[in-house]
Amino acid sequence: MNQSVKQPNRLGEGGRIDRARTLSFTFNGKRYTGHAGDTLASALLANGVDIVNRSFKYSRPRGIVAAGPEEPNALVQLGSTEAAQVPNVRATQQALFDGLTAQSTNGWPNVQRDVMGLVGKLGGRFMPPGFYYKTFMAPASMWMTYEKVIRMGAGLGRSPMVPDPDVYDHLNQHCDLLVVGAGPAGLAAALTAARSGARVILCDEQEEMGGSLLDSRERLNNQPAAQWAEQVLAELAECDNVTLLARTTANGYHDHHFVTLHERRTEHLGETAPVVDGYCPSRSRMHRVRAGQVLLATGAHERPLVYAGNDVPGNLVAGAVSTYIRRYGVVPGTKLVLSTSNDHAYRVALDWHDLGKASGREVVAIVDARQAPDGELVEQARARGIRIITGSAVLEAKGDKRVSGARVATIDAEAFKVTGQAETLACDTIASSGGYSPVIHLASHTGARPTWSDEVLGFVPGLVKGVHAAGSARGIHDLAEGLADGVAMAARALEALGRTAGSIELPQVDALREGAACALYQVPHEKQTLRAPKQFVDLQNDVTAAAIELATREGFESIEHVKRYTAMGFGTDQGKLGNINGMAIAARCLNKTIPEVGTTVFRPNYTPVTFGAIAGRHCRELFDPERYTALHQWHVEQGAEFEDVGQWKRPWYFPQVRAEAANGERESMAEAVARECLAVREKVGILDASTLGKIDIQGPDAREFLNRIYTNKWAKLEVGRARYGLMCRDDGMLMDDGTTSCLGENHFLMTTTTGGAAGVMEWLELWHQTEWPELQVYFTSVTDHWATMTVTGPEARKLLAEITDIDLDRERFKFMDWREGKVADVPARVFRISFTGELAYEINVQANYARHVWKTLFEHGDKYGLTPYGTETMHVLRAEKGFIIVGQDSDGSVTPEDLGMQWAVGYDKPYSWVGKRALSRSDTRRTERKQLVGLKPKDPKVVLEEGAQIVFDPDHAIPMPMVGHVTSSYYSPTLESGFALAVVKGGHRRMGEIVYLPSADGKTHAAEIVGPIFYDSKGERQHV
Amino acid sequence: MSDHTLTCANVYDARPATEVPAESPLAWSYQNTGRPSVSEKSRVVLRERAMLGHLILRGGAIVLDDAVRQVLGLQLPGRPNALSHDESGERSIQWLSPDEWLLIVPGGEEFELEQRLRDALGDARDTAVKNYAIVNVGGGQTLVELEGECVRELLMKSTPYDVHPDAFPVGKGVTTVFAKSNLILRRPTEDRWELVLRRSFADYLYRWLLDAGAEYAIGVEA
Repeated sequence: MNQSVKQPNRLGEGGRIDRARTLSFTFNGKRYTGHAGDTLASALLANGVDIVNRSFKYSRPRGIVAAGPEEPNALVQLGSTEAAQVPNVRATQQALFDGLTAQSTNGWPNVQRDVMGLVGKLGGRFMPPGFYYKTFMAPASMWMTYEKVIRMGAGLGRSPMVPDPDVYDHLNQHCDLLVVGAGPAGLAAALTAARSGARVILCDEQEEMGGSLLDSRERLNNQPAAQWAEQVLAELAECDNVTLLARTTANGYHDHHFVTLHERRTEHLGETAPVVDGYCPSRSRMHRVRAGQVLLATGAHERPLVYAGNDVPGNLVAGAVSTYIRRYGVVPGTKLVLSTSNDHAYRVALDWHDLGKASGREVVAIVDARQAPDGELVEQARARGIRIITGSAVLEAKGDKRVSGARVATIDAEAFKVTGQAETLACDTIASSGGYSPVIHLASHTGARPTWSDEVLGFVPGLVKGVHAAGSARGIHDLAEGLADGVAMAARALEALGRTAGSIELPQVDALREGAACALYQVPHEKQTLRAPKQFVDLQNDVTAAAIELATREGFESIEHVKRYTAMGFGTDQGKLGNINGMAIAARCLNKTIPEVGTTVFRPNYTPVTFGAIAGRHCRELFDPERYTALHQWHVEQGAEFEDVGQWKRPWYFPQVRAEAANGERESMAEAVARECLAVREKVGILDASTLGKIDIQGPDAREFLNRIYTNKWAKLEVGRARYGLMCRDDGMLMDDGTTSCLGENHFLMTTTTGGAAGVMEWLELWHQTEWPELQVYFTSVTDHWATMTVTGPEARKLLAEITDIDLDRERFKFMDWREGKVADVPARVFRISFTGELAYEINVQANYARHVWKTLFEHGDKYGLTPYGTETMHVLRAEKGFIIVGQDSDGSVTPEDLGMQWAVGYDKPYSWVGKRALSRSDTRRTERKQLVGLKPKDPKVVLEEGAQIVFDPDHAIPMPMVGHVTSSYYSPTLESGFALAVVKGGHRRMGEIVYLPSADGKTHAAEIVGPIFYDSKGERQHV
Repeated sequence: MSDHTLTCANVYDARPATEVPAESPLAWSYQNTGRPSVSEKSRVVLRERAMLGHLILRGGAIVLDDAVRQVLGLQLPGRPNALSHDESGERSIQWLSPDEWLLIVPGGEEFELEQRLRDALGDARDTAVKNYAIVNVGGGQTLVELEGECVRELLMKSTPYDVHPDAFPVGKGVTTVFAKSNLILRRPTEDRWELVLRRSFADYLYRWLLDAGAEYAIGVEA
């Protein structure tokens, strides 16, 4: 087979493709070929593929309409394997590579023969806006069932079901000037800025930079325009201060000139990233740009005209036809009718005509809505003998799966009336142009409202400080003027940066006199809009002119409401082709002007961004930081199970291999915890407590500061002693607790909860810096500097004595004392603080030596039964003693007195302290507040559920008054029973009362209110 | 109880006098994640400077400047984010916040240095001392050096801070966001960058650096 048979619409020469490199690809299961330099769309058109999709709602056959990101129909699903699936790729933006596999996102079972099409055809008339809401809402319970069927027929692609094999990353960029768009204005602007020495980033979403210069008929310096672009790009590439990013879409414009650029790094090479030098580069990359100034040279999107049947394959926007011919060497048909409101679009007819009769191509007619078009391009068309029908428009495209003709008649656009008899022209392609809408999306992301310009016949961007628009992006479509505008706007941006613009010589452009355009959006039809064949406004969302008219009749007058009712400009389309036409139709129906109707808000992202690029490398094992203590390796080697505490990984429990098990089976959690608990109560256990927050406090006013930040008293704490303290927020609610030790007269070491460490540090700085700057005190975090090992249990003293020079005599080193000395030859501070109720020593050493000390303890620990324990055992042991955990037994609405800890509140301290005033409010003094108590289940085998609600009367009619809830609940191997801590209304005076806990499984448990201390209520064991 | 616990501040030598095995915050990472070797392809090389002495100095700039000049012969950097070194390059002092500096010295020097600074700042036995704090944080952090042609790009992957030479000249250091954690980022010489990692985040940051650096065949010097 020769080339032309393979690719019937491919020209023998011309375009920027490489005919020597043939690439094969598969679309909807059928193999085709294209060339290097093609997009998937240009290759499909070259192969004469008319139908690329079925429409979203009516399931009508759809073809390629545009050549860029504004393409509404050619959304494809990429990927030959499950892992490589990518939904919603625009065929116009996907470079062709060998082996590319694509499918239509819509159309079930296939695009040629479609089940939903029947619904669309039969029900078309009966599917007004709001159809799904109105039809399927009753009964409400059935919506889930309807939805599944509707989605199968009307989906927009699907996500892969297996992990993505590729990697993605982020790059933080900073620049003086970000230029978005490398067309004529963008290139001129970037060159101007580059020569000033400013740091410049130039990004462009296409495969090749150059924008319209790549397919322009015009010549710069009497050379093809693309040559000038190449020269400029070559110079920019040489500049150290310039970063060029091709295949990079500016997708979101966020606050303070923070712009996210999505760079597709390997998507033109294959469906997964190829290996380069033994390494897979990131498939796509999110550039997080913080720019000083931003220049938007984003160009314009051509507006198609709205006429009946304008969605039949073969209807294209005019400029796209030129792009396919001049850039890709593809002619998407044989007989062209052009329907236009302006001179600019005449280029399409000239490009088509100039292919020559021999090519089999013919321009049937140019249908111009203006009465007397007279620009230079019009003259050129006349000179070529092309038929020009003035004062007219294409009313209706004929055909089903491909255009077969165009019905043309004279119209009165003002009066919205067809004035003449329609003539049908046989053709297979209709190109239409209703003018050019500046691409204002990014400017709109900043929140600046665009303004309507009657001169431009479009919205021009509203600009916040530091944002500039140049060229077509602000309605300057003439090439020479656009180039000059790029220079001028860059100069303005540079001036704002305090720089002087570099000078550049603008290329010579032949002046082209263009006639004025006329305003035409929806073309009138002989029938009223509601009865005429469908005239599509938004092809992606299947929104018709009739739908907009109906919405306005139903009372939706705000354009934002019309948008939501009809879905115009929704989804990935974001109104690129249809929004202005839609607003114009709404304006006509409401008898208002377009600026009176206003515009909708465009939101990020401009085009879809893959989730991979959003996540970057923050995934899998790098999803979130994991914080480790100095002893982590030991815990891992011992087979510990870990618990997340904040970002810390703490050993939860240490399951041992069952002694009787031959297969190495390990203990259950309950078994491990029971064993660990008994070891501490009967022998000695060891806990890695390094995660507790530690703050070093120094300064002459350190003690006074503690007096004000804690609820209890610090005036008399001696050097060598430690004290438990409670910290309240200024609302009187408990926020953190811990012990603080006096290291020297002006020197203290505060400990905080693991999760509260950073918050407490900020809290101390906040009060010091804003309320009490006169206090001479400094805080420094030493959490990571010290490793903390808690050795606790009756045998703790004997064990420690073997490896320390510290005098451990119970009279000389008392409970709540601290001493320094050596432990396992390492300088250590040892604190007699107990969170288990047993004899306990907290050994602190510089973290680099922690594993040595820990291992030495184990070398000596066997004969004492030294057992490592985790957080779960710690929780059980402390709960048996009624010791609270902030954030578990308290929740930000609990005062020290609610917890029965009046003993730790110093109301009579000479200076006020944080929370004091709030604790005298009537609400905090109420006797019916929820108060911390112990709960003893009537059935000792029952372990109440944490969070279970408590009632006084289980027979009360529902809803029962809930009087509290369980905060902590465990099985105690020491007590051989379940037990719990709870908060109960007025609990402190209800000792001995029975409460009830209705549980989710229908059972109701009874429990007795008791004191919160279940074990060693006199506290003798920690003093031994 | 030892003598100095009876004074205003508990000055304390955390290093053992005898040979005791010590482990840097990256010890576990080397074992668990490994150390990719340095080759001629390595466009980034990572090197840990473990076991250095790290002291945090807090106080008024004028008070501290006198003491630092006297003891170290170095001027206290007064400009925000400034970093200066002594002539050997082994001792550095960095501005962290308006009343906070980081001193990094060869391992083993920190205790004596702290004592000399305290002596210079006023009698530590006097309860009416000047207001300052010196805290040994050497167990809680480690210094990592990065060199190679692609270091800047690796940093750009990791931190929103601007690391372009115009914005980050030699002699600058900042505390900033890095991946989802934070660290101190410094540029002591034209070609060398330094990271000061917090112990508990060191493994995460090490894994992040290896991952981000894989593209540049990152190697880790033993």
